[in-house]
Amino acid sequence: MRFHIEVEHPERCIGCYSCVYACSRHLYNTVDPMRVAVFVRVNKSLENPFNVIACRFCTQPECVFACPQGALEALPEGGISLTPSKCAGCKNYDCIEACKLGALALDRGANVPVICDRCGDCAKFCPHDVFRYEEMKS
Amino acid sequence: MNSRLAKVLHVNLAEKESRIDERPELFNAYLGGAGVASKLLEEECPPRIDPFSPEAPAIFTVGPFTGLLPSMVKTVAMFKSPLTGNLGESHCGGHFATALRFAGFGALVVKGAADLPSLLVIEDSDVRVEAASSLWGLSPLQVEKSLRSSNQEGIESVASIGVAGENGVYYSGLITDRFHHFGRLGLGAVLGAKKLKAIRIRGTGDVHLERPTEFKEFYEEIHKLAVQTEEMRKYHDLGTPINVMMLNEMGALPTKNFTQSRFEKAEGISGERFLETLLERKISCPGCPVGCIHLGGLRTGFSPEHELGRKEAFEELDLVPYNYEPIFALGSNLEVADAASVLRLIGLCERLGIDAILTGSVLAWLTEAVQKGLIPRQDLGDLEPRWGDAASYSKIVENIALTRNQFYRRLAQGTMAAAEKYGGKDFAVSIGKNSPAGYATGYGFVVGTLVGARHSHLSNTGYSIDQKAVKSNLSLEQMVEKIAEEEDWLYLYYSLVGCYFARGVYDEQTIVKALDLIGLPKSARELRDLGNEVFQRLYRFKVREGFNLTREVIPKRLTEIETPYGRLDPSRLREMVQQYMRLRERQGLRLRRDDEALTELLSPTAKA
Repeated sequence: MRFHIEVEHPERCIGCYSCVYACSRHLYNTVDPMRVAVFVRVNKSLENPFNVIACRFCTQPECVFACPQGALEALPEGGISLTPSKCAGCKNYDCIEACKLGALALDRGANVPVICDRCGDCAKFCPHDVFRYEEMKS
Repeated sequence: MNSRLAKVLHVNLAEKESRIDERPELFNAYLGGAGVASKLLEEECPPRIDPFSPEAPAIFTVGPFTGLLPSMVKTVAMFKSPLTGNLGESHCGGHFATALRFAGFGALVVKGAADLPSLLVIEDSDVRVEAASSLWGLSPLQVEKSLRSSNQEGIESVASIGVAGENGVYYSGLITDRFHHFGRLGLGAVLGAKKLKAIRIRGTGDVHLERPTEFKEFYEEIHKLAVQTEEMRKYHDLGTPINVMMLNEMGALPTKNFTQSRFEKAEGISGERFLETLLERKISCPGCPVGCIHLGGLRTGFSPEHELGRKEAFEELDLVPYNYEPIFALGSNLEVADAASVLRLIGLCERLGIDAILTGSVLAWLTEAVQKGLIPRQDLGDLEPRWGDAASYSKIVENIALTRNQFYRRLAQGTMAAAEKYGGKDFAVSIGKNSPAGYATGYGFVVGTLVGARHSHLSNTGYSIDQKAVKSNLSLEQMVEKIAEEEDWLYLYYSLVGCYFARGVYDEQTIVKALDLIGLPKSARELRDLGNEVFQRLYRFKVREGFNLTREVIPKRLTEIETPYGRLDPSRLREMVQQYMRLRERQGLRLRRDDEALTELLSPTAKA
């Protein structure tokens, strides 16, 4: 099952990191807030609202344009796919720098960007309805 | 990263040095949290040491499920308490535990004293002690804003003491991540004596799942329990302030220095009132979906010249965490009857880094002592504490935190220390030199707080046993057994380290399964034995440091207040404590230094 996911209400975030932990469990069988496709960011003090960031599934993604290896590809339904064999060896991480939202992280183990596979776990584990998500048709 | 805890980080502030000890056996045997801390305390704390001595350790531990399972979010601190002169144990939420674990550590031991105000920086295995005079004198909020990095990698925690800790107030705390506290027993002063103003931890590691498929299914079950069950919902909805009206109706809400168990103006400080008029946001600890931290908003106007336009546009919003205990301590127990004033007092304690329960207890005793003429006029200055007068209470709290003179320095040592100097011990509401939480629920609460290793209502849930006992006709004897059983079990739970609020989610079988899933299989029996072992080790520490249950006094005031049981009968209280001692002695624990009879448990006037 794949989902369309949107960070609709970041202001509702209580900073529980359930989305972050769920994402790294799903993608890598680990709990690692660095190696994820969804982020809870603290804005200077915990007094300020949290910022929740996730891939917006752009149809003309700047991360794809930035990759000099052609390792990232824009998908017709939005979002990106990665060809790891083309990516490995690049130490510039232009894709990660390119995303203005900061929604792309580096998988330090494999030295490739972490790609959201639309599993929907972030939204499923959010206790405060930060995300809007629905199953994709195809 | 290895999924098991093994590393103990030792920091010496005097030498500005650190080392990492690999202790997998320590964590395999005692899991983490209270279990590992109790062992490190035994190893690191020299007998009868002055809590402010450089050699006195401050120990922080996390647990095997930190970062892994819902609500396993707390850090346990152990130290020698200046307030009780004995075991210091305090648990704190926030990002501290997660950051420490993702930095790779199961425990942190801080010793030595720096010559100048210092900051301890832990960035994974890069550990530094840095000069930080510029932070001295700042509030924990200001420190957090100064130290939190804009780099958002991993999990970061900022903890700091306030001026109360710098000035050695015996009940000053360590405030972490703006809204969480190592409270009660004076960890702030212990760190202040070491000139350690703040700790910043950034952890960028991970915790690998050993049996991912099973673990993920298990996680989902726990997550559902944590967010969907009624028992947990209350922590999110009204939060613990739900207790204000509940206890008031029951006749168990301590009011006016425990002279009454109902507060006629309770509605003004009820959880509902806070929710309707002050609540701004709720937040969680990382890894807990409950969201129990209720933040109330205090609005302060800018200076008048900036105030043209809508008033709200020129107000600063200060967020203050509130829950039941500070509302009782600075509200009903002082007869402060409106939620905003109570929140302002809580906010003041936050800024100064002083414990709200102890502060409320000292103020309540002081108000009565002044009215009874026990306090010399010249000591008080022009301040006169009066029931319900939040403004004068504020000034007194500041004077205590700043230890303005000898009089306030005495108040800064706690309720019992103040009464020892000025008189009024009968109404100094103090148990084991700690000040009790807000439950005039009956025998379970008083006995539980007295016999608990850290003299907290969270030691053994005596207040909750009271409420169940009323419904199910538990005998006093059964209550004593339950108190001992709960404390043992909680020491196991605090070794994991679970949040007290989620204790209902993690029953015995759940914990057995969870440990198995991370490759630390233990039977239910082994878990119970471990809890008992941790308790016993801590009690041996207490006895070594001079604690003697036979010499403890239950203040007369606690036998005068009406409870749901009526007034507590001193002879029944004494019987319960004796029975508790026999029960523990049967388990092989020596509770006293010699064979004294239990003669001094109650103050002389209450014995009759």
